[in-house]
Amino acid sequence: MILLNYIASFFLIGLGFYAIVTKYNLVKTVIGLSIADYGVNLLLISIGFNPGGTAPIFTWSELDYNSFFVDPVPQALTLTSIVIGACVTAMSLALVIKLEEQYGTIDTRKIRRLRG
Amino acid sequence: MNMLGNILSYQHFPIYAIMALFLGSFLIAAFGEKRSVRNILALLSVTAALGFILALMKPVVFHGEIISYWMGAREPAGGYAIGIALEVDALSFFFALLVAVAVFVSGVYSIQYMNRDDNEKEYYTLYLLLCGGVMGMVLSGDLFNMFIMVEILTFAAVALTAFRNTVRGAVEAAFKYLVVGCMGSTCILVGTAILYAQTHTLNLAQLAQLAPGDVNTATRLAFALLFVGFGTKAFIVPFHPLAADAHGAAPASVSVIISGVLTKSGIYGIIRICYFLFQSMGLGAMQFLLVFIGSLSMFVCVTMALAQHDFKRLLAFHSISQIGYVLTAVGLCTALGVSAGLYHAINHTLFKGLLFLAAGAVLHETGTTDLNKLGGLAKKMPHTTALFMVGAFSISGVPPFNGFASKWMIYQASYQKAVESGNIGFLLVTIIALITSVLTLASFVKVSHSVFFGQLPPELANVKEVSWGMRSAMGIFALLCIITGLFPNLVTAYLTEPAAAAVFNVKNYIEAMGFDGSAAVQLEAGGFQHAGVWDPVSWLLVLCIALLAITIVAVAGKYGNVSRCRAPAVENKYQLFYGGEEQEFSQLGGEDLFWGFKHNWRGYFKFMHRLHSGVVNDYALWAVVDLALVTLFSLIVL
Amino acid sequence: MTIVIDALQYLGYVLIFPGFLFCFLAGMLLCGIDRKLVAKMQKRVGPPILQPFYDFFKLCGKETIIPAAAERNTFMLSPLVGLAALVVIQLFIPVFGFTAFSGIGDIIVILYLLLVPALAMILGGAASGSPYAGVGLSREMVTIISCELPLVLVLLAVAKTVGGAIGTGLCFSLSQIAEYQEVNGSLITKISMLPAAAAMLLLIPGETGSHPFDAAEAETEICEGLLAEYSGAPLGVFKLSHAVKMLSLTSLFVALFLGGLGTGILALDAVLLFLLCALITAASISFVHAFTARLKIEQIFKYYWTVVSLLAAVSLALAWYGL
Repeated sequence: MILLNYIASFFLIGLGFYAIVTKYNLVKTVIGLSIADYGVNLLLISIGFNPGGTAPIFTWSELDYNSFFVDPVPQALTLTSIVIGACVTAMSLALVIKLEEQYGTIDTRKIRRLRG
Repeated sequence: MNMLGNILSYQHFPIYAIMALFLGSFLIAAFGEKRSVRNILALLSVTAALGFILALMKPVVFHGEIISYWMGAREPAGGYAIGIALEVDALSFFFALLVAVAVFVSGVYSIQYMNRDDNEKEYYTLYLLLCGGVMGMVLSGDLFNMFIMVEILTFAAVALTAFRNTVRGAVEAAFKYLVVGCMGSTCILVGTAILYAQTHTLNLAQLAQLAPGDVNTATRLAFALLFVGFGTKAFIVPFHPLAADAHGAAPASVSVIISGVLTKSGIYGIIRICYFLFQSMGLGAMQFLLVFIGSLSMFVCVTMALAQHDFKRLLAFHSISQIGYVLTAVGLCTALGVSAGLYHAINHTLFKGLLFLAAGAVLHETGTTDLNKLGGLAKKMPHTTALFMVGAFSISGVPPFNGFASKWMIYQASYQKAVESGNIGFLLVTIIALITSVLTLASFVKVSHSVFFGQLPPELANVKEVSWGMRSAMGIFALLCIITGLFPNLVTAYLTEPAAAAVFNVKNYIEAMGFDGSAAVQLEAGGFQHAGVWDPVSWLLVLCIALLAITIVAVAGKYGNVSRCRAPAVENKYQLFYGGEEQEFSQLGGEDLFWGFKHNWRGYFKFMHRLHSGVVNDYALWAVVDLALVTLFSLIVL
Repeated sequence: MTIVIDALQYLGYVLIFPGFLFCFLAGMLLCGIDRKLVAKMQKRVGPPILQPFYDFFKLCGKETIIPAAAERNTFMLSPLVGLAALVVIQLFIPVFGFTAFSGIGDIIVILYLLLVPALAMILGGAASGSPYAGVGLSREMVTIISCELPLVLVLLAVAKTVGGAIGTGLCFSLSQIAEYQEVNGSLITKISMLPAAAAMLLLIPGETGSHPFDAAEAETEICEGLLAEYSGAPLGVFKLSHAVKMLSLTSLFVALFLGGLGTGILALDAVLLFLLCALITAASISFVHAFTARLKIEQIFKYYWTVVSLLAAVSLALAWYGL
């Protein structure tokens, strides 16, 4: 079952990169970045998953050697990654708006003043 | 009293250095409305960071200590590192010192350089955020923390690239950088996640302990991902167009940080993963990867630079070309090679910083960086010109400046490697490095002719020298360029050799954090053998004596017998030789130089021009292809 | 006391032999011999051998004109710096067994120092503000790039050959190369070094910018290029630098390939060095000068990066496999 998660996560990352490479619409590029990011989040959360584990929320008295919980570290990483993903989206959309203002288009093939 | 002593213990200095920059950033965001407050806060935080790092020199370099610092004193429990750690060995210290110096000088320069921009508050906030990100990354002892810092610095760098969003192409450059940079960051995160799945730790020292034990498909994949991820930060081929775009638009003080320091953080990451985490994967093949990509960056970028006619864009390509030198030398895997590479890293930060600041000074005064529109500024900006020439001589390796000392070591290291291993590939690397050097010189001859010498365009007749603050910032860099060039023995003894020794001493790095380092692969460092001799101080002395003698003879003769020809039409004396015509402005544009060379290579240049299409999809495709190739390489060869 | 004597001795090296005075006399004589030989080969009478001296002193007596567009300091200083750098090169090159300053530089340093005089000339020309100088600068730099690849290959081949023989793998030190030749005879007697020596001979006219590789100066097209605006004493110093550069490159050839012929007596060695330099000048500069027409700049580049580089590469390959 967890294998499906891994496959799905790498599929999402691949799909995101595919969108970035092949789509000429700036907004779709941003969507590609987000999809790749979701893939990474899925991967992270799957790594920390233990079948049958509970949420890693304990007080000191509850914690003993029999407690069985999912790995909390990847969850922390995932939270961070989600925040960063949101920032990327915000920043890139801001840039897209500016680009549209300046170039009058959101077609990547026409936004190439810097080249060579 | 004891508590105060505890707070002031050097153990805390790494985190203080990072916090100084971040705190400065936040304080400026909150209270930086007034210019004076803002400037003082910015200067204070960069100075504090420099001070804390310099104070670390004694324990880390002289006493050979490795500072391990657990945030919140959360030491490892049950043999696993839970808390976030900072670990400062000589290598981290080395890079941190580079960061601190560049950040300080660039900060001083910013004060007057940015005075004509609005939103200065945001500028300083982002600038210090960028600096803090780089500082945090090189001092971190935790892979995920490195990722966070990489994200912070990428963000700040992207925002600063777009800071002057009215500049041609600024937003475009920022967007391209953001897209490919974020692909790189995603790679780093995936690599980190895979490593975590394998070893259940994020601490670098513990990873270095555990990762070599099980090399399997997953760790190979992780290596490829991390390598490409840090590659995007170092802008090595195929990510060099991003650097060129970003530098062209970013303010010069930011270019100093992006080129001098941010790329170094990528190199630092690559050194850490290649030498510390995956050193058991087969260094021979890893050497090939590093040296191949390094030489490719070196050569491709220098030829690309020859085709440019924008001052800053040209400098950006050179920046990556020099990073190629660093990567190549570091990839040689010998003590001399790593030491030479790190030496070149210092020099690159210094001379490239100086050159970018000079470009910024030109932009500040003339409003353009187009080589075809400039010329003859030496008469208007004599100090900037002199400082620029120091930088230009340094980067093209003219003795006795610093570029020569490190390149000299790189040639030796690569040729020695070639002779020792009998591998003809390294011989080729030596030749490429030497040719790249002369092409670099050509490129800077072009810049000096098109910007500082030649004829002054009439519309630049009112240009003035830049303010003393900017000149003194450039002066610091120039002075450091000369010092590091004249005393290579001191630099290698106190900076690069300890750092190189740290690279070859993975065991200490692991054990300093309290883990078991006995399984670590100890690399054969080899000694420092110089096949040649280079003594810059004596050389300079001899040159000065010769120059003095010649000057005395010349002055005793009639060398000073000068008459200045102001305007041919006015002075009767020369009218005989003119048909009465006016003296016209005729300056050879930067683009038209070196025709004979470009003509012979026209196919190559045309191909390169087509390849660097400027479409973000193409650059993303390069990133994906690079990732695929490195993955294949690491799965099959490593 | 010994320090004073040492200092005086080194000062003597810099000022008299093999430094400034020797460079001046020998370089100018070489130049005169070259001109005489070319004339003879072209069935002209030609100038007297001392003509370069006359030219030099005449130029020094003339007034110097600085154009209005020029940047004065660079314009005036660069001829002197170029000449000083050349004199310093001469100090590093061993005169058979004798080296004035052995512990300072090696082959790679020489490789880079050879750039300095050219760079001084380029900057001086650029500072003059003349568009002719701009074209000349462009061509001069392309000539430098052209010569760099074969020169690098030649030097690496020599380093490998000597280093392989003395057991260190590679050897960049010029004094060690000289010592090796003192013991084992000239390097030119080795088969692997023959193509390198030939390549070096072909390189000398390119490095000195003599005919047919003088596209950078091309009097008839671009009015002497970089020197277009120079006059009087600075021009004289540049002419002197050109002469000294001939001496430097020919004596570098002697040091690399014809070492070990020395007698051990310094005065005799100096004369011998000069005679060998004259011979090499005759073979590589005068002879080629007499029967060729000026090449275009792209032809120079192509020629050096194909023919000459191939020769040097053959030599490097032979040295690599220990032949």
